[in-house]
Amino acid sequence: MTLNDLAPLIPLMVIAVSSVIIMLGIAFYRSRAFSGLLTLAGIAVAFITLFGVQGTRQVTSLLILDDYALFYIGLILAASFVVALLSSDYLEGRRENIEEFYILLLLSTLGSSVLAASTHFVSFFIGLEILSVSLYALIAYTRNELNIEAGVKYLVLAAASSAFLLFGIALLYGETGTMEFSRMSSGISAQGINKGMLLTGFALVLTGVGFKLAVAPFHMWTPDVYEGAPAPVTAFVATVSKGGVFALLLRYFIQVDMHAYPSLFGAVAFIAVASMFAGNLLALLQKNIKRILAYSSIAHLGYLLVAFLAGGVMRVTAVTFYLVAYFITTLGAFGVVTMLSGKERDADAVEDYQGLFRHRPWLALIFSAMLFSLAGIPLTAGFIGKFYIVAAGAGSALWLLVIMLVINSAIGLYYYLRIIVVLYAQPGHSEVSAVSSLPLTGSLVLVLLTVLLLWLGVYPEPLIEMIHRMTMRF
Amino acid sequence: MFSKHWMLIAPARCGAEMMELLWLIPAFPLAGFLALAVTGARMPKRLAAIIGTGSVGASAVVALFIGMHFISSPPQGHLSSQTLWTWIEIGEFRPSITFYLDPLSLVMTFVVTFVGFLIHLYSTEFMAEEEGYSRFFAYMNLFVCSMLILVLADNLLLLYLGWEGVGLCSYLLIGFWYKDHANGRAAMKAFIVTRVGDTSMAIGFILLYFNLGTLNIQEIMQRASQAWPVGSTFAVAAAALLLGGALGKSAQLPLQTWLPDAMAGPTPVSALIHAATMVTAGVYLIARTNVLFTLAPVVQEAVAVIGALTLLIAGFSALTQHDIKRVLAYSTISQIGYMFLALGVGAWSAALFHFMTHAFFKALLFLGAGAVILALDYEHNMFRMGGLRKELPLTFWTFLIGSASLSALPLVTAGFYSKDLILWYSLSSEDGSPWFWAAGMAGALLTSIYTFRMVFLIFFGAAKGRVSRKPGMTMKFPLLILAVLSIIGGFVELPRIPIFSEFVKTALPSAKTLHEGLLGEGMQQVIASGVSLIGVSIAYLLFLRAPLNVERFTSHPAGKALHRFWFSGWGFDWLYNKVFVGPFIWIARTNKDDFIDLIYGGMAWYGRFFHVALSLTQSGKVRWYAMGITIGAVITIGITVFL
Amino acid sequence: MPTAFLPEEYLPIVIFMVIILAFGLGTLAVGIVLRLRRPYQEKLLPYESGNPPVGEPRYRFSVRFYIVAMLFVIFDVEAVFLYPWAIVFDQIGLYAFVEMMLFIAILVVGYVYAWKKEAFRWD
Repeated sequence: MTLNDLAPLIPLMVIAVSSVIIMLGIAFYRSRAFSGLLTLAGIAVAFITLFGVQGTRQVTSLLILDDYALFYIGLILAASFVVALLSSDYLEGRRENIEEFYILLLLSTLGSSVLAASTHFVSFFIGLEILSVSLYALIAYTRNELNIEAGVKYLVLAAASSAFLLFGIALLYGETGTMEFSRMSSGISAQGINKGMLLTGFALVLTGVGFKLAVAPFHMWTPDVYEGAPAPVTAFVATVSKGGVFALLLRYFIQVDMHAYPSLFGAVAFIAVASMFAGNLLALLQKNIKRILAYSSIAHLGYLLVAFLAGGVMRVTAVTFYLVAYFITTLGAFGVVTMLSGKERDADAVEDYQGLFRHRPWLALIFSAMLFSLAGIPLTAGFIGKFYIVAAGAGSALWLLVIMLVINSAIGLYYYLRIIVVLYAQPGHSEVSAVSSLPLTGSLVLVLLTVLLLWLGVYPEPLIEMIHRMTMRF
Repeated sequence: MFSKHWMLIAPARCGAEMMELLWLIPAFPLAGFLALAVTGARMPKRLAAIIGTGSVGASAVVALFIGMHFISSPPQGHLSSQTLWTWIEIGEFRPSITFYLDPLSLVMTFVVTFVGFLIHLYSTEFMAEEEGYSRFFAYMNLFVCSMLILVLADNLLLLYLGWEGVGLCSYLLIGFWYKDHANGRAAMKAFIVTRVGDTSMAIGFILLYFNLGTLNIQEIMQRASQAWPVGSTFAVAAAALLLGGALGKSAQLPLQTWLPDAMAGPTPVSALIHAATMVTAGVYLIARTNVLFTLAPVVQEAVAVIGALTLLIAGFSALTQHDIKRVLAYSTISQIGYMFLALGVGAWSAALFHFMTHAFFKALLFLGAGAVILALDYEHNMFRMGGLRKELPLTFWTFLIGSASLSALPLVTAGFYSKDLILWYSLSSEDGSPWFWAAGMAGALLTSIYTFRMVFLIFFGAAKGRVSRKPGMTMKFPLLILAVLSIIGGFVELPRIPIFSEFVKTALPSAKTLHEGLLGEGMQQVIASGVSLIGVSIAYLLFLRAPLNVERFTSHPAGKALHRFWFSGWGFDWLYNKVFVGPFIWIARTNKDDFIDLIYGGMAWYGRFFHVALSLTQSGKVRWYAMGITIGAVITIGITVFL
Repeated sequence: MPTAFLPEEYLPIVIFMVIILAFGLGTLAVGIVLRLRRPYQEKLLPYESGNPPVGEPRYRFSVRFYIVAMLFVIFDVEAVFLYPWAIVFDQIGLYAFVEMMLFIAILVVGYVYAWKKEAFRWD
């Protein structure tokens, strides 16, 4: 490792340094504005420095900064930026000492970015732990009963899942003698390998990753944590933490060539189908918006896995586009929840939204747009994303999975529309929707997200082009 | 000064870049719609009017420039297309947002933007007192945008988008005064009836795509003429299915019943959507896909027969209406019948020509009728009008010009030239027949009778109502312009100086005439002129000189029955209620719990069941969740290792 | 594939595990079946060296213990990290020195933070 190797790591370092500076700042003088602005500036600078990374740079055997990693880091940074904006107004008045929130936010962003760039089990695990440890605190941040319950649940279960992951890594290392993704396949083809051990290792890694992605049957923590965490943090858990892990999963299984193991393929297919059904069926009659969105994210990860299973060039395109669409919609939906939440509790009951259109037509329209996109209605990014997934699945003749996906889209439509119907119904008696005025930054963010959503739904070409270029050099 | 300068250099310097502006034509109304929709009722009326009218005006100006350029230095092959972007790209399925300009779409674009602009201008005053002013303009702009997408579309998917878009706007605008439930029902009826046609058209599109493997209309036409011999099953099926769509949209037999009810919308809407533009979308569709219809002579024959029947049936119904707008509605159905007749006998350019002149004079008549209706405090019944020619002189004269054009009074009116062309081809074309010609002639007679019945009842005789409002400048101006167009619009295609059909011949094949000897073109013109003049005289005799004769006839039992029959539009509504709606509702009721329903009910039941079952797993207990992860790990290992 | 995963050499182990399991469960079962059950109050009390139990078993420790424990872990890891570094220091040179200084600097920031937030003050 030389000084030259450090250059491509600048984006990651900017994030790390910002968090340290904020910590030092808080030690001497607490200022919400300072922490918040420095966080935003740090993320923005890191984002800009991403463009300075030229070509594909392998930094030791741990990290690689190629177009793929840069794209995902960019996506993660953008999402964190949105979360930071949303949370500044949300946290106000919910507890004292809200400055540390930003340190944790930056650290978990860093962890997720490391995941997107990692090519080695060590960086994988370190990234995952940086991400998770910060998340425990973030989830419990506003310290009401629900928060803490959610934080502790996440802590215990994430630690358990990390154990599975570590065991899996150990088995793989034991069989192949390497922790580098790229050298693993040559290690596998060597003679005298115990295939059972190898596959068990894969399965255990899948378990650990599956927990982070909240796919069935490792999904059960999701609704509790989503419901308990503060709304902006939920948005963060649903996007940033999953984005990094998914980027890693995709890179890992492409480099190890998952298609060489039909049974592993079968396991992922099982997880995909189980996630789609579990997510959609559990959301069906659910009355809590945050839980509905949690279940819906389980289902969406299931859809993503269908594209993941498809082979060929389409796979990366479909997955990446869908993930971008998913990021936008999820941030938007939780953004609306954040904006409407009162100080006592988050606006998470479906009744809170009854007749929202009457007194907050804009918010209702934005929420509808997000829900339409989640449901995959045309002219939204969600439709294009789903279309690509179906096309990718059909292109690889995964008919069973595609049929499951279509059935589940139909089921999903029910509960999305249920919320939309409520939005436009006669107003009920809810104190939440009577929040006096909406913060300006949050409103702007939501408008921007909606514009992006429709833009990608109507004119997806630039993004697709970008993804194509990225996959070329993959 | 600036604009003049620009106009001078435009054709010279801009060259092909001019065509690059094509996208602006639908973009302006779209932007207008978005601006109006976003601000909603908060926008001041004046600004809403400026945005609503200005956006359509701007696209009219762009259309004018592009048109001038197109005519002065035609692009290669007399067509140009502009691809904006590809929506999605998956294998062969590559629908792009591409606009296609050829003489056919140019003419349509012209009419839509210009007539659209005049009607918007008119509406700024006509709708001034209404609630939902900016909503009105938002819908109208959206309509213009959709209509432009429809005529400029290069592929079936985009065309379908425009097609459904205009349908949606039509629905929204018919039900504009939604507080009256009757209006909502009329809107619903229009939507559902046209939907029958749309479904057929959509199936047709799918059939074309799957058999020819492309969405691009020009490629489809090319491949169809190579792949399918004349009269082959696929060609006939595709043409017939598209015809279904055209019948619904253009209110032709048997799907014509929605148009008279659609008059529930504001009058400018009727002028723009239900007279000048949208209802002629069917004509456009058939003209655009004329290759298919040539490949399916049976269907083309059917087009002619339907056109002839429709023009007669609607003509008789128009005779008996009281409501001024319903007269005009039946007249529209009848005139589109003429266009279908022209399409059916292969006189493509004649149909387009009649579309253009009809857009001018029918919009004029609707706008004139609107002025009258407004003047008499929303009185629609012609029998409560009368003697208005003194009170509303400008309205009277322009209405008279429009009526003359509709009745095709010889030589000076646009309608004469276009209708004459159709009548001539219905006789002389390869596919023509004396029967078509006779039907057209009878229709012409009916047309001039009901038209002048309307003129005499409204503007002559004793004054019955009090004029409370006179049209202002913004209403008079469009009337004047349209009146001028209703006269000179016909001069672009004179016998032996066929400028218009020369212009469109690259897009639409010219008609093949056969039996020249049966009746010379000059002779047929003389007969047609005579017929329309006779019609006017009959109207004069029956409705101005001796109205008692008519009353005596209608009070006779047989006359009364006939009157009622015609008045109700030949009882189609009654028939459909008995044959379709009734049984459909009966089937729906009795069959509520049938097998199909059981599947859906079962799905819902299972959905709920599994929801409840799965919800039990969400106990909120960490140890159970950890157990879940473990079980999941065991399953995953089980599948990976042992499968 | 099962044969590949479970080679025959492992079979004795499997049998051994089964026997252990059976023996453990079996003795418990025998005990349950055979023993007398005559519970009374003293018998049901937890055994605390013969004394009657006092207070709740789930006693809450002061949160300060946790803070101290956490701080200990953090700085302990630092120390653990320093040993191997010191051993190979002469081989890896200046570069590693700078890196370690950075690492310590970050820890110092944490230390300053903890100090300022009065994490070391007991009362």
